[in-house]
Amino acid sequence: MKRYLILEDGTVFPGEGFGSSIITTGQLVISNNRTGIEQSVTDPDTEGQILAFTIPSVGNSGINRDFYESINSQCKGVVIGSSSLSTVDGSISFENWITGLRIPGIKNVDVRALAKHIAEHGEMKASIMDTHDEHAMDQIKALVLPPDLVKRVSTRQSYPNPNMGLKIVIVDLGLKYSILRQLSYRDCNSIIVNYNSTAEEIENLHPDGIIYSNGPGNPTDLPNTIKTIQTLQKRYPILGIGLGNLLIALANDCRIIRLKEPHHESSLAVKEVASGKIDFVNHNHSYTLDEKYIGGSDFIVTNVCVADGTIEGIRHEYLPIMCVLFEPEAAPGPTDGYYVFDEFIDLVESVKKQEGVRNQWN
Amino acid sequence: MAKEIIDGQTMTRALTRITYEIIERNKGIDDLVLVGIKTRGVYVAHRIESRLKQLENISIPVAELDITPYRDDQTHEETDLSSIKAEPLDIDINNKHVILTDDVLYTGRTIRAAMDALMSVGRPKKISLAVLVDRGHRELPIRADFVGKNIPTSQKEKIKVSMKEIDGEDKIEIE
Repeated sequence: MKRYLILEDGTVFPGEGFGSSIITTGQLVISNNRTGIEQSVTDPDTEGQILAFTIPSVGNSGINRDFYESINSQCKGVVIGSSSLSTVDGSISFENWITGLRIPGIKNVDVRALAKHIAEHGEMKASIMDTHDEHAMDQIKALVLPPDLVKRVSTRQSYPNPNMGLKIVIVDLGLKYSILRQLSYRDCNSIIVNYNSTAEEIENLHPDGIIYSNGPGNPTDLPNTIKTIQTLQKRYPILGIGLGNLLIALANDCRIIRLKEPHHESSLAVKEVASGKIDFVNHNHSYTLDEKYIGGSDFIVTNVCVADGTIEGIRHEYLPIMCVLFEPEAAPGPTDGYYVFDEFIDLVESVKKQEGVRNQWN
Repeated sequence: MAKEIIDGQTMTRALTRITYEIIERNKGIDDLVLVGIKTRGVYVAHRIESRLKQLENISIPVAELDITPYRDDQTHEETDLSSIKAEPLDIDINNKHVILTDDVLYTGRTIRAAMDALMSVGRPKKISLAVLVDRGHRELPIRADFVGKNIPTSQKEKIKVSMKEIDGEDKIEIE
């Protein structure tokens, strides 16, 4: 069935529909991921997003259904060049998988032209529709994207991920399961809480450390979470990932800026400033920190993107706070970033040890 | 048989973490001085210095300290400590916060000797200790402020630290 990808500025990309046949609208995100399509589509960060993959052909070795980052995909739609119908080892094809997830898709789209258009004209809203008449244009122009993306993906009820190690409270802003996998691997006894949990509620869980997770949308839409961070950061070691990093920065008088060329790529080089070490890690963010405000803050820059110099990680000089903007849990992408979790565990343990020493003397 | 227990990557990470901790606990690194105990402690000091420079854009003086004359665990001959002339450090440590660095912390005797050597050339405001490995079995009341890795050992075991600058690669082995 012929369908159309219509952009906010009126540009139309014709293609062929697959998956769910509903009309969909969302923020168009150009993803340069070549592998780990399963993880990209199921990532809660895709709430409210239409994902366009620049790779010419998607799912050539089938879909691995063991790779998922959330139970229900939040993705609003997928745009691809082409996909393979044959699979390896009897796994399902990309199109069948998307149909099963009830996500609308459009294929045979000139994704290179689309990516180029977005690179030139900036990020846009888009819609996958059956027609491209004036009515359709009016609809997309009138579209206002919802500001409560985090509310939609964050867990409503707190739940545990039990183990015998350090107790970590994770504030779910759109948590990817691979963060839990990394913590489980390190024996962490985690509790996952709603993004709007108060400082008191989190303190009552008596954590050794707190993680602010990745998530979708604009961090300035979450003033309550920022206030909670300001209270908690004086008392607990904190790790911020992605959106969590941006919120922690905002809680400490830093500013954020929207990237001209957003980072949506599963393997992009990042340099660790201290040692000069290069890691290839997964990126999925449209905002970064404004360099001008880092100098006057108590943060030091710990990681930068090699390609465009974007800040990718910060650390507080006096408080035990560390943040990365990239996704250390990978999924998709290379696993170079796993060390961030080791570093956080080290940080939590060293704070615990110092508290132990202090208690001995008091 | 030597068994590698820490690889180059983990060692790099440990040094980076020590650097972060030094920044965190010092509230400004302006009056810091790094003093490396020969041989590998010097390389540890230089690596921390280069990390601090990358992160904070401040160059910290690094000095090398030869503590051989002050050792009490190597020679059995009677040595009169007062007769030893201290080798002058090429930096001023008076009123500075000195961070002593070494590769392995074991009995604590090396560190005591290093502190003696430091005191004989100046009066630091404070002395801290950063080590790559703390293997336990102290014979003196000394502890490290910054530890890369705690490795519990038996006294029969040996810890061998290799560093790129002198041994060609970064690793820590136990045998």
